[in-house]
Amino acid sequence: MSIPGATDSIDAPTFEQILEMDDEEDEREFSKSLVYDFFTQAETTFVNMDKNLEEKDLKTLSELGHFLKGSSATLGLTKVKDSCEKIQHYGQKKDETGSNDITEEEGLKLLRTTIEQAKTEFYEVEKVLKKFYHDE
Amino acid sequence: MDSQTGGPGSSNSSDFVRKLYKMLENPTDENVVRWGNDGDSFVVLENEKFTKHILPKHFKHSNFASFVRQLNKYDFHKVRHNNEENGQSPYGVGAWEFKHPDFKMNNKDALDNIRRKAPAPRKANQPPDDMVIPAQQMDMMNSQVVASQAQLHALEGRYNELSVHHSMLLQEVIGLQKTVVNHEHVMQNVLTFLHGIDAQRRRDSRMGPFTQNATGVQNGNVEQPNPHVTPLEDDNPASPLQHASKLLNETNADVMLNPRNLEHMNEITMRMNGTLTTPPPEFMRGAARPASRGAPPSASSTTSMRVGDLDNLVYPVGQTTGIDPMYSEHINNIPYPMPTKAAEPSDARQDVRKKSTQVDPGWVRAPQILLVEDDPTCRRIGSKFLYAFHCQIDSALDGLEAVNKMNAGSKYDLVLMDIIMPNLDGVSACHLIRQFDNTPIIAMTSNIRSDDISMYFQHGMNDVLPKPFTKEGLLQMLEKHLIHLKKPVASHVDGMVAPQPLATTRQVLKEEESPAKSPATTSNWNSPNQLPGVSPVATNVTEEYMHAVQTHPGAYAVNPMQPNPYQTSAQIPMPARQQGGHRRQISDIAGGDEMNNPAKRQQIYGAPLQPQPLNPIIQRPR
Repeated sequence: MSIPGATDSIDAPTFEQILEMDDEEDEREFSKSLVYDFFTQAETTFVNMDKNLEEKDLKTLSELGHFLKGSSATLGLTKVKDSCEKIQHYGQKKDETGSNDITEEEGLKLLRTTIEQAKTEFYEVEKVLKKFYHDE
Repeated sequence: MDSQTGGPGSSNSSDFVRKLYKMLENPTDENVVRWGNDGDSFVVLENEKFTKHILPKHFKHSNFASFVRQLNKYDFHKVRHNNEENGQSPYGVGAWEFKHPDFKMNNKDALDNIRRKAPAPRKANQPPDDMVIPAQQMDMMNSQVVASQAQLHALEGRYNELSVHHSMLLQEVIGLQKTVVNHEHVMQNVLTFLHGIDAQRRRDSRMGPFTQNATGVQNGNVEQPNPHVTPLEDDNPASPLQHASKLLNETNADVMLNPRNLEHMNEITMRMNGTLTTPPPEFMRGAARPASRGAPPSASSTTSMRVGDLDNLVYPVGQTTGIDPMYSEHINNIPYPMPTKAAEPSDARQDVRKKSTQVDPGWVRAPQILLVEDDPTCRRIGSKFLYAFHCQIDSALDGLEAVNKMNAGSKYDLVLMDIIMPNLDGVSACHLIRQFDNTPIIAMTSNIRSDDISMYFQHGMNDVLPKPFTKEGLLQMLEKHLIHLKKPVASHVDGMVAPQPLATTRQVLKEEESPAKSPATTSNWNSPNQLPGVSPVATNVTEEYMHAVQTHPGAYAVNPMQPNPYQTSAQIPMPARQQGGHRRQISDIAGGDEMNNPAKRQQIYGAPLQPQPLNPIIQRPR
């Protein structure tokens, strides 16, 4: 089972094991609702991120990054997950590997671009997934 | 006359020498002080004027003697003219001529060679010496520090190792003591029984005090049998019996073995290991009650009390039998996914997958799982997987809810705990839960750096399931920690479901669950974080893992130390002196029953004794 057009943004084995949990392959009730709930969750999180970016609340940004990282990882949305991990690190004033310290300004700057990047990646994969669920 | 400004070429020379040179460059004082005729010395022509006017200008003092001393320090020498014919200086009688091989007119660069001598050389050399010696000392100190650090580390490791061994031994010893006591009780019991038979046999020939004996027992009065045995003994009981009684009487394990100290030590050890949960008071009370009813707090009550204690004490061994993060070797043994060859397991996985999404791991009953997870996506997938594994799922949205649920008395077979959660994180939640409960708790997290992991273990977690987890990884975890709920295992659960024929899928799974394959199967883990199938797992890794599994078999058993006393007991001869004769039959018999049914006994943790006292009443009069 492959998801067309998402070879690098979706980790196939991870996503497949979720698809396998669908009782009916035609309906895909479980995975679809899961994925669509994730869309909502991600949208909300991005709104929160923007808000906290304005308030320069790095700690909350890091938490939000971690939060979205968990669910995107569970779905196998590799790219989004990676960006969220970076957000988590930057919010802790660490570089993207999480091992070196950076300043708050650097963190904010990196957060700004990375959040945008995460959004882009998310909307891309959302499109792919929506297509996958509508077309099947 | 300008104040002295060191020329560029003379920057290395000493201040004094530069000032001296500067002074001589000034032609206005020529009649007082000047270069010598050959330019390789300088001459103070008029001592008094020089001291009064020139010295202060250049050296901030007007002390000719001190000027000369200074010159001497720099290895200038007064030029003497004694050897010359008139012994007179060419510059006049009062003139002082000074010379230094490197102090020459028009050779500023040579000034650099003029250094302070005598004390000066020493002083000049001192700093380098100081530098050298401290450096060596530093090196030495450093190596000493490193060495002692290593030593400390080794000691720490050794200490941890020893304390693990110590607590293991303690529990062994306590177990052994218990066994010995139980044996003694069995022996006493047997003797009592034999005495009874013996007495009856003799009663058959000539009427004995049968009625009295019977009523005494039926009253459940434990003190009663004693006086009856004695008269019987007066009545010539069989001599082997007498002999055995005597032997038993000579030593009494209850008195000889004082397990209190050991228990105390044990408790301390476990406190230090941080996972001791003090035995719930109701257990203590429950254990104490039947004993105190029977007799004054004699040896008898101590025994039952202790047995009750032990059940509680031995049970929550926590990290000492599990993977102890404090025990450095264990860091390598932490069972979290190692990159391994993916080929073989993945085949198996494919099989499983194709066969069914509803994998039945073959539980004797549906395991109760508490899933603690704030992220709805993870929670739903986790629940779905668990459901597919035939588990009953309860979920909590954060650590606080989890603690509350468990504190309220909900019983689970396993807790899957996210780490980073609002309100109360998983580690803190686990720490709190460990104060009153020992249900296996598995950290479910993407933070799996080794220091994170050792922190999880330190706070009482039993294992780590890296996120995002796979179905196989999750199943692995369940089977590892719920092995006692698996069907083929001789089970102590009442109402056990009859074993069902193995499904094909199950066989595959069963194969996977064997410990030998654990490392490989954990690698089924499909995390993008992981380097998939990087290299075949090194054999020694597997062995180490195996070793860890074998060395700590208790890690995954509910009550690891408990079975041992029953298995290893037999050899210890322990004659016992029976103080109060046979008045402890009730606990004796209870003990005997425990012996015969270790599995059952394990189950009834806190209060093994209460149901038993009926037995003697039913059995004895025969």
